[in-house]
Amino acid sequence: MSNKGRLNGKAVVNGIEGLGMQAFLAAIVESSDDAIYGKSLEGVILSWNHGAEKMYGYTASEALGRPVGMLVPAGSPDEVPQILERVKRGERVDHFETVRVRKSGEPFDVSINVSPIRDGSAKIVGASTVARDITEPKRLREALTQRAKEILEVSTPVLQVWEGMVVAPFIGTLDTQRAQQFMERLLDRIVETNSSVALLDVTGVPAIDTRTAQHLIETITSVRLLGAQAVLTGVRPAIAQTLAHLGINLADVVTRSSLAAGLRVALDALNLKISSQDGAA
Amino acid sequence: MTNQIISVVRVRDTLMVTLPADPDDVTVATLQEEVLRAMERYRPRGLVLDISGVETLDSFFVRTVTETSHMVGLMGGRTVIAGMRPSVAITATQLGLTLHGTLTALTVDRALDLLNHPRPRRRLS
Repeated sequence: MSNKGRLNGKAVVNGIEGLGMQAFLAAIVESSDDAIYGKSLEGVILSWNHGAEKMYGYTASEALGRPVGMLVPAGSPDEVPQILERVKRGERVDHFETVRVRKSGEPFDVSINVSPIRDGSAKIVGASTVARDITEPKRLREALTQRAKEILEVSTPVLQVWEGMVVAPFIGTLDTQRAQQFMERLLDRIVETNSSVALLDVTGVPAIDTRTAQHLIETITSVRLLGAQAVLTGVRPAIAQTLAHLGINLADVVTRSSLAAGLRVALDALNLKISSQDGAA
Repeated sequence: MTNQIISVVRVRDTLMVTLPADPDDVTVATLQEEVLRAMERYRPRGLVLDISGVETLDSFFVRTVTETSHMVGLMGGRTVIAGMRPSVAITATQLGLTLHGTLTALTVDRALDLLNHPRPRRRLS
């Protein structure tokens, strides 16, 4: 038996200390933590590595000779026949996310890669599957999506501070999706509260780019179309500088460096004033 | 066929014009004529264009409205556009149609206030 082979495309003459090439490759499969198993084109399990034993709970002697369909949870659509069809045509199935079931009956999420096994004459004689338990990565991914959704909901409240006036304190960065959502919510609230002034506070916005500035201007314009007035407050030096550098013209927009200063402007527009209870103005 | 009636009503010396929900081009074009005719007849000091029922708008609509408002201005009156829906405002802004220079009001009520109490709307500065 020849000790010549290829490993990663490079010709390797010997296997490794004490192991011929075939044994060497077999050891790689056996030592992998991923479940690696080979099956016939009819779906009968022909090989079962240590990783598969750990993942599915069946020992090699329990798994060999059994149909691979036993790994699919009852009630789940059985994609195995389709997968085998594709493999027979010489196709690979990559990163296919699906559900499998352990010996204990517990279903779990996996990502599988299935590829054709060819004999010496390149004829397809079987399929090999590498399966990875993605329960944890999937949980993290879903937590992340959920977190992002929560952030979207939480950070754009539009608060009515007095009859005729709403304040929308912006926190964090304004991406297109948030900006759109913010604009819609702001306009709806203005109509709901019958407000004539809206204070858009950006004290909590660390940085602003052209896109964001564009969105802000759009929002302010929309507010005006509705019939209310928008005041941009909390414009800090850093933001003022960026806007100036970007050449963005805020000539039509009333801006103030703090929310308090903006409040003064709003009260004025509503023809209101705040006075102390003992009569001193 | 959807309702395409433009209602024109005189309230004191203000003209109240209400537009239908989905005005087609013909209707929008008629707007100007209707307004002109009513201006002639009643010589109102102001015009309130109630678009609270309008769900969609395009550049033709905006152009016509802006022109009409100019016309009214030339005849010595003031125009206020009232009740634009949030979704319409967003679309208009994104299309770059800003109705620049035209007065707007949240409701017809407010529009009437604006016209009748020309306290220079504390143009905030």
